[in-house]
Amino acid sequence: MSPAADATSPEAIALAGEYVLGLLEGREREAAEHRLEQDISFATAVERWRRHFAALDATATPITPSADLWSRIEAGIAGLIQPTASAGIARPALATSSRFANWWNSLFVWRGAAFAGALASVLLAVGLFGALDRAKRQPLMVAVLLTEGNAAAAVVNTFADGRVEMLPLQSIDVPAGKALEIWTLWDRAVGPRSVGLIDRARSTPLRLDNLPLGNGQLFEITLEPASGSPTGRPTGPIIAKGTTSQRL
Amino acid sequence: MATDATQPRQTGEIEAALLACAAGDKTALRRIYEAESPRMLGVAQRLLKRRALAEEAVQDAFVLIFRHAGRFDPERGAGLTWIYAILRNRSLSILRDEKRTETSDTPIAEETASEEDDPETVMAKLSDASALRACLETLSPQRRGLVLLAFVQGLTHGEIAGRLKLPLGTVKSWIRRSLLSLKECLG
Repeated sequence: MSPAADATSPEAIALAGEYVLGLLEGREREAAEHRLEQDISFATAVERWRRHFAALDATATPITPSADLWSRIEAGIAGLIQPTASAGIARPALATSSRFANWWNSLFVWRGAAFAGALASVLLAVGLFGALDRAKRQPLMVAVLLTEGNAAAAVVNTFADGRVEMLPLQSIDVPAGKALEIWTLWDRAVGPRSVGLIDRARSTPLRLDNLPLGNGQLFEITLEPASGSPTGRPTGPIIAKGTTSQRL
Repeated sequence: MATDATQPRQTGEIEAALLACAAGDKTALRRIYEAESPRMLGVAQRLLKRRALAEEAVQDAFVLIFRHAGRFDPERGAGLTWIYAILRNRSLSILRDEKRTETSDTPIAEETASEEDDPETVMAKLSDASALRACLETLSPQRRGLVLLAFVQGLTHGEIAGRLKLPLGTVKSWIRRSLLSLKECLG
């Protein structure tokens, strides 16, 4: 391959090998991932190890996946194709995976995003406190709603007096005849409840009334018909979601 | 460098499918799924031991493949390698997270791996034609065992040390030296 790789030090070769073996953890792993982006010769060394060790992956006994695995993947990517693209051209029919099971299953995909977003949400929450009227308006809990691409799309704040509000952090393209519906889910057995419907991304109070509200509760925005979901359950693609965290 | 002879898949098809995925073509993702998901599930199962977790890893991997397909650069490596790197990264993250939050009595790492995943069994399954096999054979069975346990079962340095009753420092340095010998041999 490139002569640059041959110039790589034995340390870098061994480090690349350990990375591919999965032996680096925590900070070491992060550092290697960073280097992978920056250092072509290191990236080449990693690619060589991967290619050689691919022979080992080829020895794994194939297992037929469960019948519903593909539909779970489809549900996971349905939320990706967001109505934010240019010119409002009709999107390829976003399989409205209206089955609640699909909707729920797609949440698992977001787990990684939630971890990745955890630090961001802390930083963001800290920033937001500064912007708010400090005296009385400090929220009790904050949920940062992330898009599938891990961008913070909105934040939900809950206050001691029971008020809950949603503040958008970026514009969301809403096609004609559609609206953004906000949902919360505190108990899988009960299912998600609608707590708001807005025609475009704007600050809005959420109607939780007597619904439970706690730490780790899910909030989510989906794209629905202008008059709201016809079924009372989310039917459209997920725009963003996140769970509440208690303020320190 | 020649593509490893143990990968008899048509090169080009996966790359073409990834380019189509980058353009938002879900049927291209489906083609990759049809071709690779059983093998991918097998790889994830070796790492995660539990079927439900292995399926979760494969599910997450396909969503990530679709999401990041635009970042795949054919100049920098083969499509199949890229896909399995995503799968392995996702599987290892689940494996390490599970360990941290493990509530059951049997941590995954202590769950019995299938005999099929023993280092020497895996060695025997390696294609005779693969350069890796020839080079692993130049190492002592114990030393290549360390490398195989890490890659195939996703064990950490500490877990390998515990399993083989070797000091941690020894495991680390043997693996490093084995990697350098392999590199020497693989060229």
